[in-house]
Amino acid sequence: MQAILEIKNLSVSFNTAQGELQAVRDVSFSLNKGEVFAIVGESGCGKSVLCKTIMKLLPDNGFIKGGSILVNGTDITNYCQKDMECLRRKVFSMVLQDPMTSLDPSVCIGKQIAEAVKICNPKMKHNAIYNRVIELMTLVGITNPEYRYKLYPHNFSGGMLQRTVIAMALASEPKILFADEPTTSLDVTIQSQILNLLKDIQKKFQTAIVFVSHDLGVIARVADRIAVMYAGKIVEIGTSEDIFYNSRHPYTWGLMRSLPYFAKNGEELYTIPGMPPVLINPPIGDAFACRNKYALNIDYEEMPPMFKVSDTHYAATWLLDKRAPKICPDIFPPFVLHSCTVPDTRQDEKNSCNISTDTLLDVQHLSQYFKLGKNNVVKAADDLSFQIRRGEIFGLVGESGSGKSTVARCIMNIYKPFLGQILYKGINICDRKQFFKNRKMLQSSRQMIFQDSASSLDKHMTVADIIAEPMKICNIKPKRGSFRNEAEFQLYYVGMDKSYLDKYPDELSGGMRQRVAIARALSMEPELLVADEPVASLDVSLQSQIINLFKHLQSEHGFSFLFIAHDLSVVRYLCDRVGVMYKGKLVEVAPVNELFENPLHPYTKALLSSVPIPDPQREMEKTMLEWREND
Amino acid sequence: MINKNPYLYYSRKILIFILSVFLLSIAVFYVARLAPGDALFSYYGSRVEKMSPKERERAEKKLGLDAPIHIQYIRWLENAAHGNFGISFKYKTDVLEVIKERLPNTLLLGGIGFLFIFILSPMLGILCILHNGKWLDKLICKVGTIISCIPEFWMSLVLILIFAINLKWFPSSGAYFIGREGDIWGRILHLILPMTVVIASHLWYYAYMVRNRLLREIGTGYVLLEKSVGFSKRSIIFKHCLRNVLPSYLSIMAISLPHIMGGTYIVETVFSYPGIGTLSYESARYKDYNLLMVLCIMSGTVVILCNIIAQIIDERIDPRIRESETARIMEVSDV
Repeated sequence: MQAILEIKNLSVSFNTAQGELQAVRDVSFSLNKGEVFAIVGESGCGKSVLCKTIMKLLPDNGFIKGGSILVNGTDITNYCQKDMECLRRKVFSMVLQDPMTSLDPSVCIGKQIAEAVKICNPKMKHNAIYNRVIELMTLVGITNPEYRYKLYPHNFSGGMLQRTVIAMALASEPKILFADEPTTSLDVTIQSQILNLLKDIQKKFQTAIVFVSHDLGVIARVADRIAVMYAGKIVEIGTSEDIFYNSRHPYTWGLMRSLPYFAKNGEELYTIPGMPPVLINPPIGDAFACRNKYALNIDYEEMPPMFKVSDTHYAATWLLDKRAPKICPDIFPPFVLHSCTVPDTRQDEKNSCNISTDTLLDVQHLSQYFKLGKNNVVKAADDLSFQIRRGEIFGLVGESGSGKSTVARCIMNIYKPFLGQILYKGINICDRKQFFKNRKMLQSSRQMIFQDSASSLDKHMTVADIIAEPMKICNIKPKRGSFRNEAEFQLYYVGMDKSYLDKYPDELSGGMRQRVAIARALSMEPELLVADEPVASLDVSLQSQIINLFKHLQSEHGFSFLFIAHDLSVVRYLCDRVGVMYKGKLVEVAPVNELFENPLHPYTKALLSSVPIPDPQREMEKTMLEWREND
Repeated sequence: MINKNPYLYYSRKILIFILSVFLLSIAVFYVARLAPGDALFSYYGSRVEKMSPKERERAEKKLGLDAPIHIQYIRWLENAAHGNFGISFKYKTDVLEVIKERLPNTLLLGGIGFLFIFILSPMLGILCILHNGKWLDKLICKVGTIISCIPEFWMSLVLILIFAINLKWFPSSGAYFIGREGDIWGRILHLILPMTVVIASHLWYYAYMVRNRLLREIGTGYVLLEKSVGFSKRSIIFKHCLRNVLPSYLSIMAISLPHIMGGTYIVETVFSYPGIGTLSYESARYKDYNLLMVLCIMSGTVVILCNIIAQIIDERIDPRIRESETARIMEVSDV
C-alpha cells in the first residue's frame, strides 16, 4: 500500500503570554490510501491541532517547529498560503465538530455547495454545477435536493447540516478527509447515520479519512488504524484490533477502563489519577509517568522511544523494554466479554435496601408548549407522567430537543407548566398559593446541577462564596460555625481540599468546576437533585470521576436524583430506573436492566442499537435499527 | 412578516411613526415652557424690562402665551395641522421661512459628511482585517483612538488656528463670502474645515466597529470550513463575512444618521456656520418657542424614521429574522 500522507517528527508550538506551548511534540505517522485513521485522546492533547497543522489552518500564533509533512511524497511543510489553497482544493477537505456554526447563515445551502464545486472546477458551466450540487446532495443523503437547495442553514437540523458540510467537503473529490469530532455535537441516532455515511464514502471513493474523536465507541465503529495521543505525543499506534484487544500503553488501558460501558457489576468506575500536564513546560520524561501506577524510574528521566510490538503496532512506554518487569494489566483481555452477558445483580440488592416505596416527586400529565409564532407551537413536553421515589436515581434519556431539559426546568419551577401538575412531597408546586406557602422548604430541598460548569458558576466569586451562597440566600445558620467552615466541609466531601477555597472558577479545570457545582448543590442537603447532562462536556476520565462521585454521594446522602443524559452507557451504570423521551413524549419507563435487555418501544430499540460500542468486533456484528414516528 | 401581509406591516410601522412624533411634540412643548426664562424677551428685546404689567399682559395675549399650557398646545396643534407653525419671535417671520434658508447648509455639511463616513469606515475596517495584526492595522487603530478622543469643539478650534489664522488657507467662519452667495468655490472652501471635523470625529468609531464585527466573523466555524475547501481569506471576507456584517452595519448607520447630523450642530456653532445647529441653539436660548418646536420635531422625525428604516433593513437582509415568524426546523428523521 502506498502512503499518501506522511508526517515525520512533526512538532507544533503556540506563542502564548505564558511562554511557548508545545501542542504537538514529535509526531510521526503515515496514512494509506483509502483507510480510516483515527486519532483518540482527551481534550487538549493536540488532536485537532495536528489536523489543522496538516491543512495549514493554524491560528496566527501557532507555528511548525520542526519535522515535515509529505503529501504523495512532496514536502509541503514550507508551502505558502497560495499553494495550500490549491492543495486544499484538490487533496484535502475537512469536516468540523459543530455543524451549526460551520455554514454561513445568510447563504442558502445549495449556493454554498455550488461555491465549493465552482472553486474546485473553475471552468464548469452553470448548469453543470447545479447538477453536480444535486448529485452531491443526493450522495450524502439529503432527500428532495431540488427543494432543499434554496433553504438556509437555520432550516436544517444538526444532522442535515453535517451532511451538507460533508457534501461541501466532497465537492473537490478529496484524497484525504479530515473529520474533526464530526459527530460529537450530534445525537446518537444521527451520529450512527453520519458514521455510516462516512464509511460509505470511504468505500466508494477510496478516500482516506483522518478521524479525530475522544469517543472510543465511535472510533471502534469506523477506524482501520488508531493512534492514541497524550500530551501532544502519539503514545500508541496500531490497527483497530491492536489497540482494542492488545493495547500496551498504560494510558490506553486507563482510557478503556474508565468507560462506563466496561464497568463490572456494582464496581466503582476506574479513573486515571491526576491531571494531564500543562504543555508550556512539559515534563522531561514520559508525560504520563506521574499518573501511571506502573511507572518505572526511567519514566521520569527519559522520554520512551516507540517500541515495536508487531509490524503494525507501536507503543511508547518503557514497559516494553527488555529490562522492564513484565506487567499484566488487571483488566485485559478479554474484558469486553463479561460486560453485557452477565446479568446485573446490583439493582435487585439495591432495590431492597435503599429505595423505599415512598414517592417523592410525582409528575402528572405535564405539558409544556412553546409558541414560536402564530401557527407554530413546539410541544416540548406532551402529557408526561412519572414518579421518582425517595432515594432513587431516575434517568431521563432522549435526543436533543426531546424535552428533557424542559421537564427538569418545570420540576425546578423555572418554567410554569402549561398543563398538568407536579407534586413534590404532595405539594403541588405549580400552584402559586401552595408554592409560596412552602417556598423555603421547596427551594432548599431541590437543587440543580447544569451541564456547563463554566457558565453556571459566577466568575467573580471565590469557591468559598459560591458554595456558601445558597445557605446565605435561605438564611440557614451554618452548622459548622462559619460559612467558610461549611464550605470547606462540603468541598472536602466532593474530594477537594481547602486550598481551593479562595480560588476563582477560571483557575479550575472543568472537572474541578463541576465538583464545585456539586458541592454548592449539596450544601443545602437536598432531597432531590436534578442534574442536566452533568458529565456531557467532560473527558472520559473526568467523566468517570464525577460519576463515581455521584454514586458515592447518593449512597451516603440518600437523596433522590433525576439524572438527565444522552449517553446511555452512563445511564445504565448509574441509574435505577430510566425514562426514554422522544419528541416531548415519554415513550418508555422501566427499571434499567429491563430497559436495556428487553426494550419494548421501537424507539428505545433504535436508540439502543445506535449506541456505539467500544469494541470493533461487536460493532461489526450488531444490526442497526431505525425507527421513525408516523405523523 | 413582510411576506405575509406587506400592507399590514407597513401601515403598522407608519402608525408607530405618527404616534412617536405626536408624543415627542407634547414632550417638547411642555419641557420648553417649563424651563426658566422670559419668552417675551426674544420678541421685544430689552423693551420687556420697561413694560408695565398691563402692557405685558397685552403682549402675552398677542403672542398667545396667556392660556394654560394644554390650551396652548391644542391651539398649536390645530394650527400645525393646517400647516401654520407660527412665527419666530426673534426673526418675526414665518418659522418655515427661517428654516428654509438654513436647512440646505446643514444638509450639505451633514449629508456629505455622513456619506464620507458611510463609505470610508467599512473600507478602513476591511483594510485593518486584511492586514490583521500587522503595522497598518495597529496604526489605524491607534490613530483612530487618539483622534476620536479629541472633543469636536476643541478640534475645530485647533483647525481654525492652524489653517484659517496661521496658514490662511480656509476661511474661519460662515458659509460663503459675504455678498457672493452663489459662488460655489467659495462655499466649498467654507465647507472643508467643518466637514473635516465632522468626518474625523465620527469615522473611527464606525471603522473600528466594522473591524471588530469582521474579526468576530472570521473566528467562526464556517470561515475555517471555507478555508479548508480552498477559498482564500480575501474572497471569504468579501463573499461571506461582509454579507453577515452588513445588516448590523447598515442598521447602526441608519441609527447613527441623526447622531452624525447632531454632531454638526456643535461644529456649526464653533464655525458660526449658518445652519440648523446654530438656529436650534439660538431658539432654545431665547425661548423662541415656535421655532424650537419645529426644529425639535424635525430632528425627532429624522431619528424615528432612521430607526424604523434600520429595523426594516435588518428584517429584509437577514434570512433568520425574515423568517423568524414562520421558522420551522426540518425533521431530522426524514432521511
